[in-house]
Amino acid sequence: MTSHLELNTTISNLRDLHASDLSPYDAIYLGNITCRLYEANLLERVDDLREAIATVKGQGLKAYVSTYAAPRNDFLPKLRKALAAAVEAGADAVEVHNLGVLKIIDEAYPRLPVHIGGFANVYTDAGAEVLKRFGAVRITPNYELSLDEINQIQRQVALPMELLVHGKMPLGISDYCFLLEYEEAWGVKCPDLCQQDLFLKQGDWAMKSIGKGILSGKDVCMLEHLPRLIADGHTCFRIEAVSESPAYRLEVGQVYREAIGHACASVGGSDGRWREALNAHARVGLCNGFYFGRSGMEYLGVESEATTSGMSRPGADSAHTLHIRQKEQFDD
Amino acid sequence: MRPSFRQAEYPVLLAPAGSPAAAVAALEAGADAIYVGLKGWSRGGAKGELTAGELREVVAASHAEGRQVRVAINTIPRGVERRRLVQSVADLIGWAVDGVIVNDPGILAELRARYPTLPIAASIGCSAMNEADVAFYRDLGAESVVLPGTLSPEELRAAAETPGVLIEAMIHMVEEFIVLGKCWMPSFFRLNPIPLADLGVEGNRLIGSMKRGGAGVCFKVCERPWDLYLSGRRVVQRLLPSRQLSRINELSDILDAGVGVIKLQGRSLSPRLLGPLVRRYRMAIDAWRDGRACLAFDEASLDPSWTVSRR
Repeated sequence: MTSHLELNTTISNLRDLHASDLSPYDAIYLGNITCRLYEANLLERVDDLREAIATVKGQGLKAYVSTYAAPRNDFLPKLRKALAAAVEAGADAVEVHNLGVLKIIDEAYPRLPVHIGGFANVYTDAGAEVLKRFGAVRITPNYELSLDEINQIQRQVALPMELLVHGKMPLGISDYCFLLEYEEAWGVKCPDLCQQDLFLKQGDWAMKSIGKGILSGKDVCMLEHLPRLIADGHTCFRIEAVSESPAYRLEVGQVYREAIGHACASVGGSDGRWREALNAHARVGLCNGFYFGRSGMEYLGVESEATTSGMSRPGADSAHTLHIRQKEQFDD
Repeated sequence: MRPSFRQAEYPVLLAPAGSPAAAVAALEAGADAIYVGLKGWSRGGAKGELTAGELREVVAASHAEGRQVRVAINTIPRGVERRRLVQSVADLIGWAVDGVIVNDPGILAELRARYPTLPIAASIGCSAMNEADVAFYRDLGAESVVLPGTLSPEELRAAAETPGVLIEAMIHMVEEFIVLGKCWMPSFFRLNPIPLADLGVEGNRLIGSMKRGGAGVCFKVCERPWDLYLSGRRVVQRLLPSRQLSRINELSDILDAGVGVIKLQGRSLSPRLLGPLVRRYRMAIDAWRDGRACLAFDEASLDPSWTVSRR
């Protein structure tokens, strides 16, 4: 029985929405939180946003509207219009990363459910309690928190915590886009620039650039740990796909949908096809983020060697760091 | 709530002091107030923090000259550390510190509830960037909100028109590529837990996280050269953009906008560098207060490697 569990993902514009098969998902976050100039950003086009909400809800899914991670004053008038459109169109919740936006929603739409996003920097139960008073019904804790810390907040605040279970983790947000420096040299203009395949590398460290945002180079992967997450009482799982293709959204989503079903049915082990699908989409490799109290780029596995083709078993004398196949498709 | 600065004293020049010697230099150069870190609780890490004894001496010296001292406790304490931090604030009040600077809504709300008259500033690490942010932190109990020097005078004016809260503008600062308070690049690559035994509580500091643990430390991964790959092909090696921002020559517009506190970044500055910096801002503020034209200052700056912002 998985009906109480939610698998969701992110989509920035109508083009991506129409190109994506959403069948693995229960809910969709709509809008690009990074840049107002992102191609046809739903947050800047209220008619598109209404259509997107209708499309998502027409498929029987919940429609959430994301909001900007670091808005300045000149973002706010358009954002207020997007919020009004979201309410009119029946959005099921709004995701908030900026606490000023939280205040705006609390005053204008006090009954609108609010999900707190990862850029809101919820690090403590005290912080979560404050945001709960402002209408938060769900919280994505800051990505730096470990599962133990997240579980503690969940217990103390009694709100569901949303967990990024797969995809490139946001590492930072900027007020500037340095990719604009390359428009002429590359012959690619904004808003197409940030949709290129762009990575920043330094030795074996890698980050993905999306212009005003920096994402992890490795994909966070919690596939092996889903049973633990579910046992811990977590119910909201996100596949971060804002910078990914419709194929990524579908195939990774299918893997997690099946894995959630297995976990809920207490079916042990994993399907080799799952890892193949995830590896095929992992541009640099996989990691666990900060969930185990280590640096975000590490990977800790739980499965035995016999069931982990393509993965190396953590050694008993090691820090239990395991690196899933590093693709390293970079030409130096 | 007791305001930490009387309105008649606006604008206030708030200078950094990472050592007792720097505090002396800042006061001699004309700072109305200084802000310092207390060992163990400052985002800047161990460098630039004062011991309890040093802090008490700095407070006494500052008060003797009619100046004020604020203490930055702008890491976000984890559960095991929070009780200790709240105790530390009681100590600070006992030592007659004039206010604290905090970095987390939860801590801000808790301190406001526990210490109703304590002046509290929402740190620049709170990432307030718009007028609604300012109102949010005011509602939580902040007396003032620190805004980055990247905001325009128009944006600062809108913020300053928010009733019931004082605006501090950090107009001398390093503008990094990632918005202050919204970066966990360093800890993604390196995170070193070390015991908190020196603070007398269980748990670890998380060295590598800018916001967490007893002493937030940034490994400055953004200051290293990164290879930029386009479609798998290395196209350039570059730094992530950052620049020294100093808006002293726009001070009139900023003060006309209603900013109450001019804040300077730089707790790592030596007294030798800090003194002249504070003196220049003192001169510019005094010129504005007297209705004279602000003097023009040449500011050394890093080469800004970013292009025009297109927001």
